[in-house]
Amino acid sequence: MEIEIQLTDSLIPAKIAPPAGGHTGAWLEFSGIVRGQENSELISGLEYEAYQEMAEREIRRLLESLAQKHPCLSARVIHRYGVIPVGETAIYVGVAGRHRQEAIALLAEFMDRLKQDVPIWKRRAMPIAAPISPRHETPPFAPVPPSAKLPTVSLDEAVAHIQSACQPLPNIRVSLPLALGQTLRETVYATENFPARDLSTRDGYAILVSDSPATFQIVDTIHAADWKPRSLQPGQAVRVATGATLPGPNLRVIMQEDVERQGDTITVLKDDGAANVRLCGEEIKVGQPILESGLRLDGGKLALLATAGCTQPLVSPRLNVIHFTTGDELVSPERVPGPGQIRDSNSILIRGLLQPFVNELEQAHLPENFEAAWARLDLSRIEAADLLLISGGSSVGDLDFTRPLLERLGFRIIFAKVNVRPGKPLIFGVNGTRVAFGLPGNPLAHFVCLNFAVATAIACLRGETPPTFLRGPLATALADDPCPRETLWPGRVLRTTESTQLQPLPWASSGDMTCLALANALLRIPANTTALEAGAEVEYLPALGRLES
Amino acid sequence: MRVLFFAQLQDATGCPNTELAVAEPLTLEQLWLILLEIFPELHAYRPNVRLACNWEYAGPETFFSDEDEVALIPPVSGG
Repeated sequence: MEIEIQLTDSLIPAKIAPPAGGHTGAWLEFSGIVRGQENSELISGLEYEAYQEMAEREIRRLLESLAQKHPCLSARVIHRYGVIPVGETAIYVGVAGRHRQEAIALLAEFMDRLKQDVPIWKRRAMPIAAPISPRHETPPFAPVPPSAKLPTVSLDEAVAHIQSACQPLPNIRVSLPLALGQTLRETVYATENFPARDLSTRDGYAILVSDSPATFQIVDTIHAADWKPRSLQPGQAVRVATGATLPGPNLRVIMQEDVERQGDTITVLKDDGAANVRLCGEEIKVGQPILESGLRLDGGKLALLATAGCTQPLVSPRLNVIHFTTGDELVSPERVPGPGQIRDSNSILIRGLLQPFVNELEQAHLPENFEAAWARLDLSRIEAADLLLISGGSSVGDLDFTRPLLERLGFRIIFAKVNVRPGKPLIFGVNGTRVAFGLPGNPLAHFVCLNFAVATAIACLRGETPPTFLRGPLATALADDPCPRETLWPGRVLRTTESTQLQPLPWASSGDMTCLALANALLRIPANTTALEAGAEVEYLPALGRLES
Repeated sequence: MRVLFFAQLQDATGCPNTELAVAEPLTLEQLWLILLEIFPELHAYRPNVRLACNWEYAGPETFFSDEDEVALIPPVSGG
């Protein structure tokens, strides 16, 4: 019988041609496929390990012995190893015979015996991320009646409403790349010692700690990736590389510069008594906390988690956000606006500010007509969203429809006007654990509302500390026409090693764009202020992601 | 002698392979005694582990010498 055996770590082709020649009457093919379930758990794949040389020999031996019993013409076996995704072939067997009976018998018996003797193992199942249970229980689409006339709220009242309405969503486990920039929500304890065994910190010769320096016999050589345990006798030394695992405990390393080597013996010329060993558990001991809950995960902390084998840390949830722009005057930034049109800058502004906190951000434009807009909504997507943002359409002009749209979606409106400049027509609605904002369309008003209102909601939904106002002195004087509302003035925090100063930025209207590129904070200017001296102390709010703490 | 560990035995010993210096050929029983001394973790697995010598399953008559490749084969699960 002709036999062909292949062990491979790549995809097994779906179709393989039967052997040529006129003798074959039966060509039987079998593919063993990785199923999506292992031990009643959903998986995304299986990892196989093979002792390749021996597996090949065993398969051949098996086929040769079976061919005595079931004479066939040829057999071809391909077994894959490594990670095999669900739905792909782990083993392929093709058997050619003169007649079907012996081919079927050989195949059946081969598969049974393979599972007894061939050194190939299902090493581990790759778990599938557990299906995310719906975060929000209430169905969103029981329309609420329009609320009675709502009073205009102050800035502090608006923030307090948002904080009490936004309940923290459950924390989630994510892979290390997705954990970057997220807040760790559990204290991580070491489950292994690090280093796992004593390591040499020098190129040199390992000897017993109790041995006295003289002449030693070299009995072994250990490179960085080797693991060669052995007990050393007095007078014996093992050549070791920097970073190499020592062959046992209670050893120290004499640096190679301090010995003279002749063949397999060394003579110690100088011994300062240094151990030159990183002891097992010297850096991290089993059970020791390695990262505290509440830390923000940066590259260095993620590297520590990787070293400790903690690959699915528990972090704050990222939010699913849906953002609609409204307003027929908007055109995409790629286009040249016609008369009466402007480019949409709010979509990228929202993406830019919210990116670190967002799992999915879906953005779309709605026509400026209630029924047409309603017809455009994908209600199942809105049902899955944690946060709904609608830009424009939030003042009381004829064409504005954010508030009725939110009410139709079941959001109870908490407030619809805030006594702040810019950003007065800000709408906040709640539907169970979902929240929604209607943001005034002007970009500067957008920036202000995102930083004081939406940022507060995002922090609360993620179980983090909401942004708070700090205090600092103005870098320059500020002059203003008296306004009966508080102002959140775009500003720039100037930090030196000695001081923090606040630079108010010039802005002409709530459509003013140039200061957006510079602003990293909002300065809180009291109502009816006409002038503030340089050095006057004001409150300020760092902008989302713009000011490193 | 090169000794290879597969599947869960790798997790138990913490390494995929190790080198043993063997002066005289060992019986299966003698080799196990040495392995268990270095890796006491293997005790629990021994009843279900077969030894292979140079890519063939070993039997009571097998001798293991310094230049052999020895593998510890836990129950297989291919296919």
